[in-house]
Amino acid sequence: MAASATLPRRKAPDWLTTPLLAGALVILFWIVVAATINLWAPYDPLALAGRRLQPPSMAHWLGTDALGRDVLTRTLYGVQYSLPVALGVVISAVVIGSLLGGIAGFVGGFIGAAIMRLVDITLSFPPVLLAMAVAASLGPGLTNAGIAMVLVWWPVYARLMRGQVLEVREREHVEAAIAGGAGRTRLLFTHILSLCWTPVLINATMDFGQVVLLAASLSFIGLGATPPTPEWGSMVADGAIHFYQWWIAFGPGFAILTVVLGFNFLGDGLRDMLDPRTH
Amino acid sequence: MKHLDLRGSSSRSRITRSDGTAALLALAAGLILAAPSPSHAQGANKPLVIARNMDLNSLDPHRSFCDTCQIYNSTVYETLLTLDTSNKLVPLLAANWEASADQTKFTFKLDPKAKFSDGSPVEAKDVKWSWERLKNLKGSAAFLAENITQIDTPNPQTVVVTVAAPNSEFLNIVSAPYMAVVNSKVASANGAMAAADAATKDNAEGWFLQNSPGSGPYVLASYSPNNELRLKRNAQYWRSAPAIEDVVFRQVKDAVAQAQMLESGTADIAMQIDPDTAKTIRSKDVTVQTVPSYNFIYLALSPGAKGNKVKMTKEVREAISLGLNRKEILEFTLGKEGQLISAPIPLGFPGGSGFPEEPYDPAKAKDLLAKSNASNIELDAAFPNLNAYGVDLSLLMQKVQQELSKINVKVNLQPMTFSNWREQVSGNGIPLTAVFYAPDYYGSAQYVEYFGMMPGSPWAKRAGAANDPSVINPREQELLKKALASGGEEAATIYHEIGLEMIKDKVILPLVSPNLILAYNKGVKGVRYSACCNLPVAEISR
Repeated sequence: MAASATLPRRKAPDWLTTPLLAGALVILFWIVVAATINLWAPYDPLALAGRRLQPPSMAHWLGTDALGRDVLTRTLYGVQYSLPVALGVVISAVVIGSLLGGIAGFVGGFIGAAIMRLVDITLSFPPVLLAMAVAASLGPGLTNAGIAMVLVWWPVYARLMRGQVLEVREREHVEAAIAGGAGRTRLLFTHILSLCWTPVLINATMDFGQVVLLAASLSFIGLGATPPTPEWGSMVADGAIHFYQWWIAFGPGFAILTVVLGFNFLGDGLRDMLDPRTH
Repeated sequence: MKHLDLRGSSSRSRITRSDGTAALLALAAGLILAAPSPSHAQGANKPLVIARNMDLNSLDPHRSFCDTCQIYNSTVYETLLTLDTSNKLVPLLAANWEASADQTKFTFKLDPKAKFSDGSPVEAKDVKWSWERLKNLKGSAAFLAENITQIDTPNPQTVVVTVAAPNSEFLNIVSAPYMAVVNSKVASANGAMAAADAATKDNAEGWFLQNSPGSGPYVLASYSPNNELRLKRNAQYWRSAPAIEDVVFRQVKDAVAQAQMLESGTADIAMQIDPDTAKTIRSKDVTVQTVPSYNFIYLALSPGAKGNKVKMTKEVREAISLGLNRKEILEFTLGKEGQLISAPIPLGFPGGSGFPEEPYDPAKAKDLLAKSNASNIELDAAFPNLNAYGVDLSLLMQKVQQELSKINVKVNLQPMTFSNWREQVSGNGIPLTAVFYAPDYYGSAQYVEYFGMMPGSPWAKRAGAANDPSVINPREQELLKKALASGGEEAATIYHEIGLEMIKDKVILPLVSPNLILAYNKGVKGVRYSACCNLPVAEISR
């Protein structure tokens, strides 16, 4: 009998966890849906697809709504609104917040204090309430809801970035760059900000889900998407009116759940992967 | 026009860990209290609970203007006349009355037995004071008394009213709950005023939140805004006392919660349940009765709105009307629980029946649009985002959007709060909108005055008569004058003729008249819908 050689099993890295994979798969699924739904959608999301308020059946897996539109189709189309809004809001908030936070941390003094007081003032309002107030004053619509959410979200990144900059600017390589005659702009963008992105990236990933949730909340109360847009929050609101036709709210509700969970898992996984302290 | 603001904020409660003990104790206490006790086992003195989304704007009868106000005013106050079940005028505070041949002078003899809840008699001076106060407070219902030029009180039992122009509907106006007679001595002592400057000097609104100086079968016991309105039997009531001692209106925002309360027995009556929710009521202890209502939902086009991208000529308006499949709209919004309505005068009101059905002809609509160089038009459609009498306006407008897209009219929906909508419709105007109307009294003149394309009428202004005088239809004003100077069948015929003119205007496009769903527990008797008073509470018994 030949002796069997035991090969050492390659151990998966610690950060490659099931939640991270699950989160990534869910988000990948929704990205693929968003990109391709126009090609294979079973019905038109805005047109009559059958009898109104029909419960789930083979023809309509998630039933029909009060206007006879297919709930599954509308749910799948909903991601075309939720993901771009979340992406737009998070990127805008990251850019504005990081820039202002970076300047506050790097420049300090009166400008830094002024920026941080603005951050404090904005953060002192309950975020949902502030977003509602801004969206209500701008009028309904997803763009206005997006602007309202950016106004609520940027201070988080400003505070985060300022903390990072304050820490990084004391490092030796920065002192060396100063000694080497680096200008202030080069110092900030090349030697400091480039080392501050990890926590911002992790936070942004986790915030995607929260932004999707807030956008849906604004639409739910009539401050986000306008009808007949198949936006998840407004679809859940339709379902709340037709309380006993549970399927109307189930589809969009479940979609919100999966996206929020997906981004949370992904964010957690990214933190484990990128944060050296967890290795 | 009354309105409901059904998009109030909802409140949530939750039990935290620290509240756990208290919650258990409360639960135990609740169970003990809920156990049947011989003293009130049969519920003879059990309060009548009405679950309702209360749209109360005031408890002052001369400032109030809403559906719930009609119920409250007609329960704690009284008018000189009221309506019976067939909408015929019957005496209330007035024992008898007469109108002059030219319909400008009306004489009322008060019932000598009538007395207020403090025991003092109802006198002519109270009627004069109350109606002058309604007029001079200049509230939303002041238009009802606007036409009054003089009120004489030759003796404590006689009231002689002179109106500026013949008004054959004045007696119907008198039966409107806003024409409530208030104990003038008591109210005046608490800051209420009837003088010409009452609008700025009267400061009794707060006092009316705790007091009801009326002669109605009930008196106000307590009011807690957004919670409950509690009434108790008027111990001094001068007619037959109502059967139920206490009445509680409980604030319940949505139809589903109202239905659940009925099924669980925590409410006795709900009348704001929509047809889809009504279908889900399974309890055999709940009676669901459907009656035709006088409310209706309509679309309105504004030729003079600043937001119009093309000239909204009569042909374009006609085309839009032809592009609406009203039968499908009815099916989608109300199913079998409503009727189509062609003219803005409801069925059951003088001259309100027999209007031809509005045609649906998308091909002709497209032709008309092409002839008007408006083959592909876009309309901004702002509307109040609420549920009116079981019709979700957002849903309705999405259906209208679908319908009009078939004739290449693109509708941009803009849902908004009722207050924003009101500001916009009275400001720059809205090219296409949807809203609702509920009568303020039993009579057709109000519809002509509100919807008619007559100089100064609310909808002529909203339709942009100032920018586009072509919307004015002079015939409507002429006919209204004739109708108000006549009466009975003759007036009804003229109102019908005005209705046909309003259809031709194609500014107001009435769509559906929702049935009213009266849902109540089997043990409750005497629940009905009234044209003047909404829900006559005093007629209800167990």
